[in-house]
Amino acid sequence: MTFFTVVIRGLLRRPVRTGLTLAGISIGIAAVVALVGMSRGFEKGWQVGLKARGTDIVVSNRGGSLTPKPFDASVRDRITSLPHIAATCNVLVEVTSVEESDLMILSSREWGGFCWNNLELLSGRMPRDAMEEAVVLGQTAAEILKKKVGDPIQIETKELKVVGIVKGGAIVEDGSVILSLPLLQGIIGSPNQINAIDVRVTPSTNEQQIRELTEQIQQQVPEVRAVTVSEHLSHSEGFRMVRAMSWGTSLLAVLVGVLGVMNTMLMTVFERTHEICLLLAVGWTRGRIMRMVLYESALLGLFGGVIGVTIGAIGVQALGATPAIRGLLQPDLSIPLLGFSVVIAVAVGISSGLYPAWRSSRLNPSLALQAG
Amino acid sequence: MTSPPASTSALLEAKALTREFDEGQVKALRGVDFSINEGEFVAITGPSGCGKSTLLQLLGALDRPTSGTLLYRGRSLPDHPNPAAYRAREIGFIFQAFHLLPTFTAAENVQIPMFETDRSASERRARAFELLKLVGLEHRLDHFPSKLSGGERQRAAIARSLANGPSLLLADEPTGNLDSENAHSVLDLIIRLQQEQGRTMVLVTHDATIAERAGRILRMIDGRIVSGDKP
Repeated sequence: MTFFTVVIRGLLRRPVRTGLTLAGISIGIAAVVALVGMSRGFEKGWQVGLKARGTDIVVSNRGGSLTPKPFDASVRDRITSLPHIAATCNVLVEVTSVEESDLMILSSREWGGFCWNNLELLSGRMPRDAMEEAVVLGQTAAEILKKKVGDPIQIETKELKVVGIVKGGAIVEDGSVILSLPLLQGIIGSPNQINAIDVRVTPSTNEQQIRELTEQIQQQVPEVRAVTVSEHLSHSEGFRMVRAMSWGTSLLAVLVGVLGVMNTMLMTVFERTHEICLLLAVGWTRGRIMRMVLYESALLGLFGGVIGVTIGAIGVQALGATPAIRGLLQPDLSIPLLGFSVVIAVAVGISSGLYPAWRSSRLNPSLALQAG
Repeated sequence: MTSPPASTSALLEAKALTREFDEGQVKALRGVDFSINEGEFVAITGPSGCGKSTLLQLLGALDRPTSGTLLYRGRSLPDHPNPAAYRAREIGFIFQAFHLLPTFTAAENVQIPMFETDRSASERRARAFELLKLVGLEHRLDHFPSKLSGGERQRAAIARSLANGPSLLLADEPTGNLDSENAHSVLDLIIRLQQEQGRTMVLVTHDATIAERAGRILRMIDGRIVSGDKP
């Protein structure tokens, strides 16, 4: 028998209560994994989408939500002459409901811009020109909308025709309805409005030069923000809000876990007062008693964390496959996130066990003789 | 007040020992003096509430006296720098209600005090087997306390008290929860082990027939030792 055996026996003493506590922690950690995994997946999906289009710098409005506030397309003319810019592409993106889908990305691009180049035709054809009333669907969008080439598609009040199914090299691209810029501007009644300019730099441009270019763009057009693709989403207020909400909700769930473990450990200490006094009476040090209680709570956290991560990972994959979310994000279940979630769970266990451990170590060993 | 046999050295010495509770309203011990020699078997008797168990708690460093002197091998016990180490290495407790931990087997219960020693897990297991064999429970090693009879539980508790080879055994009504047959056999075992191993034993009992088996009886009334005769 080792000290670890003693710790495990302590947990197995009340299997139902231990199980319920584990369930509490697991749900908290599953919430962390699911919410953070989804929000990070959302960010990652957009980032990969931008990279797939070959975008190096995104110029967008300073404010903004998930889709930044529109601004005038003429802004592009003020930056094209800056050094290291190889190409630009005006973009207007909306996230809205399309037919049966509650959330669908409408991604309109300047006709002839480099933003079309990443699209690989799987069936049908590309629109003939900027004004043809036609769209191409990313392959996931086609599945969600149950559309094939030749089908009509209703966007707002306008009926367009699906002329092609494409593969875009990123989950966001595959989940989009892609059309030419003037078409969407016309549908939403915002002529000459865009909400981003995708900028591609010349191949020899280094990181430092890209950074200098973003500063130059901002000097040239103070009302917009120019950032690299990787910075774009971290600067977005919309994504910050999503991130804050996911962490906020997760922290609440974790707090519930903390209270659950603390309650369990306090109950354990109260119930085992006599047992702990006996251990003190037979020579166990107060430090060993504290370690025993802390190890028990840390183990609760560890087991709860592992179970929670598993539930969260399965849950987030299941959620990601639902029609409402499919195509918008690819859940980020990276090892660092899963590992961090388990670390949070162990930290929850240890911090919840501190007070019960301290209380247990303060017990008077003479109670061992008094109790019958 | 009693005096030890002249030829032996004192293991425990108490002078004017008092213990008060509730800010002096309850006086459990009112100036106790005694000396217990190495290898002695001393019984403490007296009516309920006379201070027997309080005295046992002080001897086991489970509590501290309010005033007076309590020496263990000539050193002040209340000022011991590490009371846990004293309890682990010098003391073996035998309780009336056995106090075995219910989620551990007999062998595991015996190993519990050994965590405060340098013994490895296999050495702890071997020592537990040796001690349970000594008390006649070698066939019940892996039984949980709920599967042991009262007598067997107390035997396992006795084995636990010997785990770290203590100098001093402190027994609080060790046969109080047993039927007469088991009580005799457990008492015989305790006395045999005490004599064979030459350990000092202080046994608290209100049963005169048990006390008479001790080498010396300290009779207590109202927190004082009123006599310390040989039976």
